[in-house]
Amino acid sequence: MKQLGSLLWAEIIKEHRHSFHSKMIYFSLLVWPVINFVTAYYSFAPFRMGGDSPLARFISYEQLPLYLLTGYLGYIFYWCLVQSSWQMSFERQAGTMEMIFISPVNRLAFLYGRSLSSLIEGVWLFFCFVLLALFFVDGIRLSGWWAPPLAFLILLVSAIVWGGFLCVLFLFSRDASFLYTVLDEPMLIFSGVRLPPMAFPVWAKVISFCFPLTYALQLIRELLMERASLQTMLPSMGLLAAVLLVLVTATVVLLRQAEKHMKKTGNMVMY
Amino acid sequence: MLIAENVRKVYQVKEKKGWLRQQWTEVEAVADLSFRMVPGKIIGLLGINGAGKTTTIKMCSTLLTPTSGTITVDGYDAVKDDRFVKAKVNMIAGGERMLYWRLTGRENLQYFGSLYGLQGQALRNRIDSLLLQVGLYEAANTPVERYSKGMKQRLQIARGLINDPRYLFLDEPTLGLDAPIARQLRKHVSELASQHGKAILLTSHYIHEVEELCDEVYIIDKGRLVAHDTPEHLTKSLHLDTALQVVIPSLSDSLDYDLRQLAQDYGGSREIAETDEQTWEVTLRGKTDMTTPLLSLLAAHQSPVLRLSTQQPSLEDVILHMADRRGA
Repeated sequence: MKQLGSLLWAEIIKEHRHSFHSKMIYFSLLVWPVINFVTAYYSFAPFRMGGDSPLARFISYEQLPLYLLTGYLGYIFYWCLVQSSWQMSFERQAGTMEMIFISPVNRLAFLYGRSLSSLIEGVWLFFCFVLLALFFVDGIRLSGWWAPPLAFLILLVSAIVWGGFLCVLFLFSRDASFLYTVLDEPMLIFSGVRLPPMAFPVWAKVISFCFPLTYALQLIRELLMERASLQTMLPSMGLLAAVLLVLVTATVVLLRQAEKHMKKTGNMVMY
Repeated sequence: MLIAENVRKVYQVKEKKGWLRQQWTEVEAVADLSFRMVPGKIIGLLGINGAGKTTTIKMCSTLLTPTSGTITVDGYDAVKDDRFVKAKVNMIAGGERMLYWRLTGRENLQYFGSLYGLQGQALRNRIDSLLLQVGLYEAANTPVERYSKGMKQRLQIARGLINDPRYLFLDEPTLGLDAPIARQLRKHVSELASQHGKAILLTSHYIHEVEELCDEVYIIDKGRLVAHDTPEHLTKSLHLDTALQVVIPSLSDSLDYDLRQLAQDYGGSREIAETDEQTWEVTLRGKTDMTTPLLSLLAAHQSPVLRLSTQQPSLEDVILHMADRRGA
């Protein structure tokens, strides 16, 4: 456990120095999601949002800012990890990936450590913004004092599992950057960041349930906006747990395959 | 001991045959290669024509799986028991990669040390000792991007030693370094084997480096072992010519004739070149030493000797000779 802690700390330092070396990066990490949030909020403004609007079946108008805030917070958690796994190509180019795989380090610990450190660096500023904003928005209906910490934990764990899975995909090939395009924008559209997935047509619902962010956001909103009890949330929690279990299993299996593939083809250094 | 037995590595290479068609071909990078690494000894891997040296190193360091054959490290199989093997090996490559440039030297070592489970005071002590060993203690907190090429290479050595490996693979470690820094590194590598008991496998394009450092040399061509011996035995076993060079102030026709005759008598050859200083440089090549008859001949012609030197065949001559022979 102490070793894992040491590895995580080293990974955090590495990520911090390597990817977050300038204060301007933190500035962009706050400004960019805030702009996105404001844009999303005001894009609803020209439309009818009263009780008889189509969206009112899923979100009340007073809860729209909170809905978008939680949506963007979740999205930023997941988006950071898409970015971080995309950066695996840097490790390949720099030859440092070989130095990681020549060592006996636990591969899963490395992947999840990498995800955790990217996440902490990438989201803390926007997270603080959301916490602050929560004091000014209407519609908060907490299940209890434990609801915000639990929501945070759900978001953190699910995002790390998602990040580990993505890192493995990027281990397979230097040409995996197309995944960035495939995963980033569709996640924003279909995961319920701005619009509830239940409002989508069936084909879009199918896509939305491919992203674990959909399940995580569902739970977070139940905790923060619907005053749901733990008992009523059990089905949603079970569903998220099942999805995460599938992702962890896939990560373990694919990780073995990816390392085997790299050792066979020698593509660990190709870029 | 590291034992590689009949190791073979075949890559599948994709060849484009137009817009949509592609063809897979097999390329044999290493074929039937066997060798041993013993603690305290340095072995050299020299190659002709893209011989598969790096592939061999990567197989030994568990980064590549051999297509067939076995590599065992202190009894552990490099494929099946790779986690045990990984703790005992490390690799240092030439060039400026394999480091995080934005991190300081110390942070790089902290990161790579943590990958080997090192932590706390033990890791800090190890880093300090390595930084002192490679002469980077003063620059420990400077980002690597501000290091010179030589400093980066020294940091690579520290990184390669972070897990105190028993087996160390050096892939062109002095590539592109200035002569004084390269010499310093060679001294360091030599000490790693002689004083710290490391088993070292070295590949280098600088053959004098291999000649200077290695106890044994394996010469491979297209992945196949073509010769294995000590550098001295290799040069002697091929019976290559020794070059005897003499510089004289003038060259008469009769001396020229006698020199040609002398070379012929000893089964060798002679070359004559006029130098910029208006003197003559005579080179006699042969398998036997012609120093005494040459000096007698020059004395008979009353020709003063301005300079006399003998050049024994080097490992480089062996490689060139083999390359010529295999190319023919």
